[in-house]
Amino acid sequence: MKDFFSRYGVWILAAAAAIAVTLSVLSYFTSTSPLLENAAGIVTAPFRLAAESVSRWVEDKKHYYQEYNDLLAENEALREEVAELRANARQADRDREENRLLRELIDLREQRRDFELEAAMVLERSANNWTRTLTLNRGTAHGVAAKNMVVSSEGYLIGVVTEVGLNWCTVQTIIDTDTELGALLFRTGDVVMAEGEFALMREKRLKLTYLPSGTALLVGDYIVTSGLGGYYPSNLVIGTVESVETDDNGLAQYAVLAPMRDFDTLTEVFVIKSFDIVE
Amino acid sequence: MLTRRDIIIKWSSYGAVSLLLLFLCALTLRDVRVLGVNLFLPPLLVGVVASVEDTRAGVLYALVCGVLCDMTVAGTFPCVYTLSFTAAALCCSLLAKSVLQPGVLCSLAVTALTFFFVDALNMLALFFRDRAPFSAMLSLALRETAASCLLLIVCHPVLLWLHRKFTL
Repeated sequence: MKDFFSRYGVWILAAAAAIAVTLSVLSYFTSTSPLLENAAGIVTAPFRLAAESVSRWVEDKKHYYQEYNDLLAENEALREEVAELRANARQADRDREENRLLRELIDLREQRRDFELEAAMVLERSANNWTRTLTLNRGTAHGVAAKNMVVSSEGYLIGVVTEVGLNWCTVQTIIDTDTELGALLFRTGDVVMAEGEFALMREKRLKLTYLPSGTALLVGDYIVTSGLGGYYPSNLVIGTVESVETDDNGLAQYAVLAPMRDFDTLTEVFVIKSFDIVE
Repeated sequence: MLTRRDIIIKWSSYGAVSLLLLFLCALTLRDVRVLGVNLFLPPLLVGVVASVEDTRAGVLYALVCGVLCDMTVAGTFPCVYTLSFTAAALCCSLLAKSVLQPGVLCSLAVTALTFFFVDALNMLALFFRDRAPFSAMLSLALRETAASCLLLIVCHPVLLWLHRKFTL
């Protein structure tokens, strides 16, 4: 081998140089790839393709997970934003409701400057079927006392406070069987009595008794508190006349009153803590 | 024979379960009306506990329930639940010890008996105070009893399980 290179080495070197020069000249003067390079490219192309495919797949996966994580983060951020917007919307609803209540309260106070009112929420409605009471979240700590009257935000009579605790009170609604109130027929000024009756309690109605003879009651007539005796404020709307009936004994007439508010849907009420007697 | 500690745990459990049932009832059945009436749980608790426990314990439990109900639930007169629950527990206990074995039928019977006592007192009070029509009151009492008996589906197994846990 040593003899071979010492004998033909110069020729080999000259041939390699000639080939190199030839390829260089060819690559300079032609637009296609040189033959060897082209051949090498052809051979390696499938491998490159495979490598590129795998690389692209990995890159795709990388981007996929990257984007997935980004989307997750974005989704989380959007969820938080939605929750915040919803909370704001709820707060806005509450504020709007509070605003409405306060406006009503202001109106009520403007109408009846003699009232000292305490806003209250209904905590519970009577749990048994024999009474119709409400439990409110206001008590002696808020200045509420027994026999205080309770009205709706519109000023309609709801009932009378019968029991009071530190931060709660029980209200006997006007349809309870134990209710007896001095009332006035607003249109004529006739003095009558509004009282709860067992059979009517289920229908959320009460009874108007002691109708003066000759009283012409009309359906829809307003009945208000009389305020006589000074125990209760006057001119609070108890309800409207729904029908006029005759007693079982056929001797006396009574009217069925429909309260202005459905007690089952009440959530906020106002307790009249004190009032001036208006003659 | 239960030790003092066991007795305390047992009645604390009865108290806790009763309060839990009342709370769940108030939470879920507050606006539910069956046959036009609200379901009323306390008489069931009194009746079932009185029927499975011994007479003295049952009556004491009823007395406590009655006092608590009078303090928290509006009644037709101030001590209506204390009186009716105590009397009903006594009768339920006697009924369960002498006539019926504790079970679903017994629970139904004692529940009806407890409601009978409660509603009878309510009816008497309303009749003498307001001359309320008897037929309307009887109708309400029957509907209230029938509707509330549905709560036995939950109360009976729970209270019976509690009783067995501490006695067997």
